[in-house]
Amino acid sequence: MVTDTHPTLPEFDYFRPESLQEASAFLAQHAGEARPFLGGTDLFVRMRDGALVPRYLVDVKHLEGTDELRFDPQHGLTIGAAVCMNRVIASPEVRRVYPLLAEACRSVASHQLRTRATVVGNVCNASPAGDTIGACLALDGVLNVHGTGGPRQEPLSAFFLGPGKTKLQPGDIVTSIHFPLPPLGCAGTYLKLGRNRLSDLSIVAVTVLAAPDPGLPSGCRFRIVLASVAPVPLVAAQAEEYLANRPVTSDSIAEAARLAGAACKPIDDIRGSARYRKSMVKNLTEKALTAVWNQLHP
Amino acid sequence: MTLTVGQSLIRVDAEAKVKGKAVYPGDIEMPDMAYMKILFANRPHAIIQRIDVSRAEQLPGVLAVFTAKDVPNNEYGLISPDQPVLCGPGSNKAHADHVRFIGDQVALVVAESEAIAVQAISLIDVDYADLPVVSDPREAMKVQSPRLFPDRDSNVFGHYRIRKGSIENGFKNADVIVEGYYQTPVQEHAYLQPEAGVSYLDEEDRITVVVAGQWVHEDQEQIAHALGLPLEKIRVIYPAIGGAFGGREDMSVQIVLALATYRLSQKGIRRPIKIVWSREESIIGHHKRHAYYIHTRWGASRDGKITAAEVELIADGGAYMYTSTKVLGNATLMCTGPYEIPNVNVDSYAVYTNNIPGGAFRGFGGPQGAFAAELQMDKLAEALDMDPVEIRERNILREGSLLSVGTPLPKGVSMDKVLEACALKAGWVRGARGWQRPVVNQPEQANKKRGIGFACAFKNVGFSFGAPENCWATIELRGKEEIDQAILYHAGAEVGQGAHTAFIQMAAEALGLPFEKIVLVASDTAYTRNSGSVSASRMTFMAGNSIRGAAAQALEKWKNEERPAVATYQYLPPRTTPYDPETGKSEPNFSYGYVAEAVEVEVDVETGQLQVINVICADDVGKAVNPQQVQGQIEGAVVQAAGYGILENFLQKDGLSLTKTLSTYLIPTVLDVPTRVESVILEYPDPIGPFGARGMGEMPYLPFVPALVSAVHNASGCWFDQFPLIPERVLEGLSS
Ligand SMILES: Cc1cc2nc3c(=O)[nH]c(=O)nc-3n(C[C@H](O)[C@H](O)[C@H](O)COP(=O)(O)OP(=O)(O)OC[C@H]3O[C@@H](n4cnc5c(N)ncnc54)[C@H](O)[C@@H]3O)c2cc1C
Repeated sequence: MVTDTHPTLPEFDYFRPESLQEASAFLAQHAGEARPFLGGTDLFVRMRDGALVPRYLVDVKHLEGTDELRFDPQHGLTIGAAVCMNRVIASPEVRRVYPLLAEACRSVASHQLRTRATVVGNVCNASPAGDTIGACLALDGVLNVHGTGGPRQEPLSAFFLGPGKTKLQPGDIVTSIHFPLPPLGCAGTYLKLGRNRLSDLSIVAVTVLAAPDPGLPSGCRFRIVLASVAPVPLVAAQAEEYLANRPVTSDSIAEAARLAGAACKPIDDIRGSARYRKSMVKNLTEKALTAVWNQLHP
Repeated sequence: MTLTVGQSLIRVDAEAKVKGKAVYPGDIEMPDMAYMKILFANRPHAIIQRIDVSRAEQLPGVLAVFTAKDVPNNEYGLISPDQPVLCGPGSNKAHADHVRFIGDQVALVVAESEAIAVQAISLIDVDYADLPVVSDPREAMKVQSPRLFPDRDSNVFGHYRIRKGSIENGFKNADVIVEGYYQTPVQEHAYLQPEAGVSYLDEEDRITVVVAGQWVHEDQEQIAHALGLPLEKIRVIYPAIGGAFGGREDMSVQIVLALATYRLSQKGIRRPIKIVWSREESIIGHHKRHAYYIHTRWGASRDGKITAAEVELIADGGAYMYTSTKVLGNATLMCTGPYEIPNVNVDSYAVYTNNIPGGAFRGFGGPQGAFAAELQMDKLAEALDMDPVEIRERNILREGSLLSVGTPLPKGVSMDKVLEACALKAGWVRGARGWQRPVVNQPEQANKKRGIGFACAFKNVGFSFGAPENCWATIELRGKEEIDQAILYHAGAEVGQGAHTAFIQMAAEALGLPFEKIVLVASDTAYTRNSGSVSASRMTFMAGNSIRGAAAQALEKWKNEERPAVATYQYLPPRTTPYDPETGKSEPNFSYGYVAEAVEVEVDVETGQLQVINVICADDVGKAVNPQQVQGQIEGAVVQAAGYGILENFLQKDGLSLTKTLSTYLIPTVLDVPTRVESVILEYPDPIGPFGARGMGEMPYLPFVPALVSAVHNASGCWFDQFPLIPERVLEGLSS
């Protein structure tokens, strides 16, 4: 048995396709031994650790549509797959219209890393700890995917199947992520609890987005997404529903937070115990809900 | 009045390090170099029944594979040679076929490239017969525990006793008694530069190892011993060293590099060999700060005088002895704090387990001892409704006070002055009822609570306890009428702490020359004589005294017209004595530094997260040879101790390490370190220190954790007898 002796990445062939068609065909043809990559900040680490040994790495950063960051006041925001997080954070439209997304990006690692790391990579990596996934889910993100059958869309709400597992099939390349215009007058926050204050993955994290909705008994629709407490990023649907159906008070917020805590199925790992995680989900959810509610009602 | 000493001169190594030009072991490239990789056992306890290297040997590009049978004298160790260089059968040492921790080395491959060496390692077949794993030293002490060394009758390999006064009377006279069970965690050194080195035959055919260490002559001796060669056949050179903190005190790649060069040269292959460890190899491959289990009971009278202290210390020594017995010696002395206590019983034990060995790490047993002692003081203060500074002052060691080992401290005791300076700076006031803790401003958020804590400590300078301490320096004065240049030959290692700059400053001062006229030739056994180790806060003290001696003699020769004027001087500090086996009576050390620290912390009572707001660290350094470097040492020590106290969580289960990377074992980032560190540098000269200097690299580390825990208690009302204070532990404490 040998461990701990990886001086560098295992050998692989670098492939730079000319078109999306070529890329999809190549990936489908080499299913199981070829992977697309963007910033490589997840992929290279896993390769160095020996967890992944792909024969081919398919660079998709230059392909059509992957480099654009476009805001359309009618239709919303499109972030190309190759757009690094620092570009997202720097975009005036993102800051103005989707501040929650910028906040989530800022919580990822360090400035240096964010010059490589992408939102689409974060989503495709499908880690339950992925810091931008909660914002993407709460903002109703939809992935633009190019596969062997041509382009299609995948809503994020049904995208995640398990740790590292998604709906993507061999040949699929996510070219961008699209967000509709956020609900009018919304406010959001991302609370991340890490072991340290820079660059660690979360022990738990909570995304909350809320917007006035006169059609609901509460007059306000809340979105709550939890990180690092289940095999996939977890939408706390029960808590959302509970909050929707009654006036918002500190008591209903506390109860919703309790429901969020009860809904998650965390594990013990090096970052924290399941017990601690559960109680932190409750504390942070309550805190996030309160903060967002206060933002809406200053 | 000093001219050069006392100035914050720019470090001699600053420019090369800032520009990236300094050459660290991993940067060295030589023509025709071959590469080495090590097969680690990666299992905690087993007997190796068979090693088959034939497939590895046949791999194209492999020059040689070495195993236990290739080691001439298959043993090494700083205190006792209890560790095989390579574990396996066919060795000339009994039981060298035993693997005792995951970092034991089994085979070496030398190849044309690192990649080939890695591949060859995977082709080595080893048959292990696993043995039961001993991972808790408290269990390992028991007679029925499996033993790591079949030829020893117990896993306990070190034991000290202190018996002072009458412990029964001490407790009889106590109005309050406080009992505590404390545990201190393992800590990884996490220096920036993982172990690396190059070996070759030099122009005089010496086996030459260029490596990062802390004591060139000890490395040389360890290599010579294992290779069965005379000392003069071995040469050790230190290039730039990327941090050490005690973690390079013991051997890592030194012996195996030399072994490969030696054996290959016998086959007529005379190529340089290089090895660089990965971070994972570094983390399993070198020792750690010892975990300690401490049970202690202290009594005090109503007026705050401590009447008795009884302590049992158990140190997890891990698989081999390393410097455990010396570390234990310090902990044994420090576990009753810088206080004069009339009645003391201490029993301390160092125990073998299948964990990664415990060894030297900044503070050297001091932090573990201080943790228990200072918390006991705080709890006594609480029980007596007394201020924590007040109770300390009433018991503090002063000039002439008797230590637990029955003898007074060497002259120049400043503990009382240091305590006072720190307390005042931190906002304590002295009123009619004595010292009083400042009231901390509370933040507006309901979930944040702030508190302030205080602790003090003393730290010995030098290994001592009878160790034959000494340090050599040679000075050569060149020129005709005037001295054009002075060359200082000194072995002392520059591990990043600024030692070489301090050497040059002290040489310039002693010779009355400008700083620029001094040239330093350092850390090469071919040119320098034994300096002893860069550890135990000893190097400025020892080097300074040796440099002063050499300077005085060289100047004398210069006056007598010798050209060049060359003098070599050996500094011998005052004699010390080891612990008496029954009573512990001894004169343990020739010099100490004194330190006090106040820590202000903010506790998030919802998450358990801590933020250190402010640290005030007062240190009597005797004389700050280079004040900026002293400040650097204080801030560095505080940051490292904050990591130890709050964040760094080294996890081992059944002898396996669960934190083998720096993404699982976290050290503080720039956002985690204390928001503010105020260094209060005090200069009460040590009567025998060079220019009055005391050693100071370790002492700021010692009081941090107890001061932190005390601050958390002040904020929350909870005591924590175990750390690191990770959020989860804090929250659990708060809710119980
Ligand atoms: C030091 C460090 C710190 C980190 N800290 C954090 C943190 O705080 N929070 C956090 O969430 N993450 C963190 N990460 C993880 C990582 O940086 C992020 O997940 C990042 O967003 C990944 O983006 P990337 O562009 O680098 O993805 P890549 O590594 O290029 O790809 C990620 C995965 O997605 C697949 N993939 C890539 N592109 C496509 C595509 N177009 N279509 C389909 N599949 C694709 C790849 O095959 C791979 O499996 C950290 C990583 C490192 C090295």
